[in-house]
Amino acid sequence: MVVSFRPGTSSRLGEVIETNTTGFLAESDQLHQLPDLGALVCVGGLDAERAYYGIVAHGATGGLDTSRKAVRRGDDHLSDAAIYDRHPELELVLRTVFSVAVIGYRDGISYRHALPALPVPLHYSVHACDRATVAAFCANPRYLAALLNYHGELMPEQLLAAHLRWADTTLDDGHAWLMDATRRLARLMKRDYDRLTMILEAVAPD
Amino acid sequence: MTLDLSRVITSITEMVATVDPQHERHRFDALRELWTNLDPDDLDARLDQAGVTFLTIRQTREIRDRIPLPPVPTNYAVAATDGSMMTPDRHSPARFYLINTGKVYLRYGDDPLATLTSDPDLRFAEDDLWVNAKQRRMPINETILGLRRAVAELQAAMDLLEGEPLPAVALVDGTLILWMLESLDDEIIDTLLPEFLDVLTAFQKYRIPVAGYISSPGATDLYGAMRVAACDYPDHGRDIDCMDCWRRILNDGHAAACDILPRVTDRYIVEQVAELQPGERTATFPSESRILSRYHAPHRVRFYYVHTGREIARIEVPRWVADDPELLDQTHALIWDQAQLGRGYPVALQEAHEQAVLSMADRRLVEQTVERQLASQGIVVTRTGKDGSKRGRFV
Repeated sequence: MVVSFRPGTSSRLGEVIETNTTGFLAESDQLHQLPDLGALVCVGGLDAERAYYGIVAHGATGGLDTSRKAVRRGDDHLSDAAIYDRHPELELVLRTVFSVAVIGYRDGISYRHALPALPVPLHYSVHACDRATVAAFCANPRYLAALLNYHGELMPEQLLAAHLRWADTTLDDGHAWLMDATRRLARLMKRDYDRLTMILEAVAPD
Repeated sequence: MTLDLSRVITSITEMVATVDPQHERHRFDALRELWTNLDPDDLDARLDQAGVTFLTIRQTREIRDRIPLPPVPTNYAVAATDGSMMTPDRHSPARFYLINTGKVYLRYGDDPLATLTSDPDLRFAEDDLWVNAKQRRMPINETILGLRRAVAELQAAMDLLEGEPLPAVALVDGTLILWMLESLDDEIIDTLLPEFLDVLTAFQKYRIPVAGYISSPGATDLYGAMRVAACDYPDHGRDIDCMDCWRRILNDGHAAACDILPRVTDRYIVEQVAELQPGERTATFPSESRILSRYHAPHRVRFYYVHTGREIARIEVPRWVADDPELLDQTHALIWDQAQLGRGYPVALQEAHEQAVLSMADRRLVEQTVERQLASQGIVVTRTGKDGSKRGRFV
């Protein structure tokens, strides 16, 4: 299973602008357009053999210059998308960013559910993963244990629930993967019934 | 310790006590009365023969006119530019200057578009660091760099709007009156000024109005005319002569008749006395600045004041804009709309400033890059004692 990282392909979502061992921050190519919370995304490595995988853990839109706060632009007669037509410069002074928790990498053709030795390279492209990649990477949901210990803007339970929902929808396999994943979580969290319930209630199919 | 605030507070308290709104009430009443009863014909006659020591205006027939906001076009374009600069550092062995021009183009209406860019220009050649006039040569200074920056700003705005099919206006931050050049020799002015005027000529050729936008203006041209109106010399059959009046104040204890007026700026007159309403502007008046005698007649600057909804701004335009009602209305309408979009200050100028600004970190980065590259050539920058003490402070 090899994912292509051809520049300019439509799967590009954004670019890494801050990076460290446990995760990275990416700036979206398009204002307001960012991958879903909990989605699996990937970044190419310095060589073609390596790629990095992570879960979208937070998103935000604000001023490009952090010292400039957004102000109200609309009123009864001007709202939502029309505001952007009336203020064309907003597309250039605002930006959307998303942070990603790194959960694994690909070394050659095999996936590793562990932190890579090096941080994701700065300024590299962040891509959406196609269904086949998601199926291959998520086949063994052992990485869920790492997400349980996630430290970031969200509570780990919220992030896990978002990821489970996203993967279930993306895989569209009659909830087979979701059942497997939740069973694994139940084992991992057997001493923490309250947290487990919170996750299970959040992901229960309608 | 830099400032002993406790010692200043007493003075601040004394100062504030002198700012009594009732204290000068009679002066403000006098100004209002003078304004209401103004006879423009009489004032024009006074201004024609007055020997004054301050800036004023002529042709005051329209001084009290309030011109309503013309229709704002839905489809229009605006270009705004602003510059910031690093002047040559005399502590560094590498002599250079840097002008960073922020450039903004905004298009509104059916096909909205924005481009925000900056254009850094670093100059180090001998010809860039000296001005070569016919008879003499002088090193550049802040005044000359200021002019080069003004030329760069104007040229950048021209480049952004050349061939623009929509109604448009080019905005620059600040005055179009290069009064700072007055401190330079005639010969140097003659060498430098044409560059600036040539760009104005290009704007004229393309019929794109250009305007200098001055926020919170401190100008007193209209106020000067009010002082002339208040002068009692004509009542005594004498020509207005400020120098004579001043001599009498010093020697004979004379009280100047214009002293009845409060010391205010045009901004106050336009807002509080003329009571300009949001969207309205005043008529245009030719500036009497001395430097303008060196401009070609069509480029001599006229100005008007406009109520942006938040403040009174002074707008300066070349005469060819002021004389063309369509272009003049265009500046009025588009500047108003820009100010509405920018919460009282034209959004294009706001963004041009953001593009132009050189932060302390940017400046230090340029210096460090220069120093590093000099070092690679075996030249080590040794800081002078004073410069070093400012950079690395110690006790």
